[in-house]
Amino acid sequence: MSMQALNQLVARSIVDPTVVQAFRSGRIGDVLDELEFTPDMRAQLEGIESDSWAEFAVISYRYVKAAEMPAPRIDLPSPVEGLFPTERTQSDQGQVA
Amino acid sequence: MIPVSREERHWFLKNVARALLDFSGASEPPVPVEDVLDHPPAVYQEDFGVVDMYSNLWDATFARPPGQRGSIFVRVDLDPEERRFALARETLCAMITSKHGRDLGMPDLLMSELKDSAEYFATHYVAPELLVQAYRAQGGDEENFAESFQLPAGVAAARW
Repeated sequence: MSMQALNQLVARSIVDPTVVQAFRSGRIGDVLDELEFTPDMRAQLEGIESDSWAEFAVISYRYVKAAEMPAPRIDLPSPVEGLFPTERTQSDQGQVA
Repeated sequence: MIPVSREERHWFLKNVARALLDFSGASEPPVPVEDVLDHPPAVYQEDFGVVDMYSNLWDATFARPPGQRGSIFVRVDLDPEERRFALARETLCAMITSKHGRDLGMPDLLMSELKDSAEYFATHYVAPELLVQAYRAQGGDEENFAESFQLPAGVAAARW
């Protein structure tokens, strides 16, 4: 949802000068309020320090992308692994002459 | 300007293309690239113009004579598909060098990779993701893709 809102914001800024005017005068929060950012994300974006609107957009993209990435899942082996006999494959079976 | 990855630059460019698509009001292909240049958003009023010319040097190029309106100078004998793509590509150059583009910080973000940026932008402007998805959902196939979106064959093949 936040990425959709960010895409809307950046696309709007390309044709609507009021966005960059708000950014330059420190009132970007007013524009963010019009879009569907989560309160946490809104606060993060409002706190970004950048030299230009384009830089602000890229840093915002990093924040939103990181927030929307699924938490990393660590696949640990089962604690019972190795306790029970596993099916033996043909190649495991010893050949008796 | 902070270092920016290719993927981040492309994301920004897709939104630039989306802005012009939304402005054009197009909901189906082909995207009216030349109409947007003829009737641009107010912020690009002094930057979007088209001038036909006879040349063997380039297909199109953007120039801004000192103190005058910027224009895309386009070869008069191009195929319609080649013309659309060349105009789309040069539209980005017009935007980057416009007053509004400079206010946005577009030169710092895009100038160092201008060729790649302009090609990527043009591809996503003339064949936007939303319209390509809709075309596929309606059973559109690769064979008619170039014709439906009025794309040069090479661009269509790469975009499909």
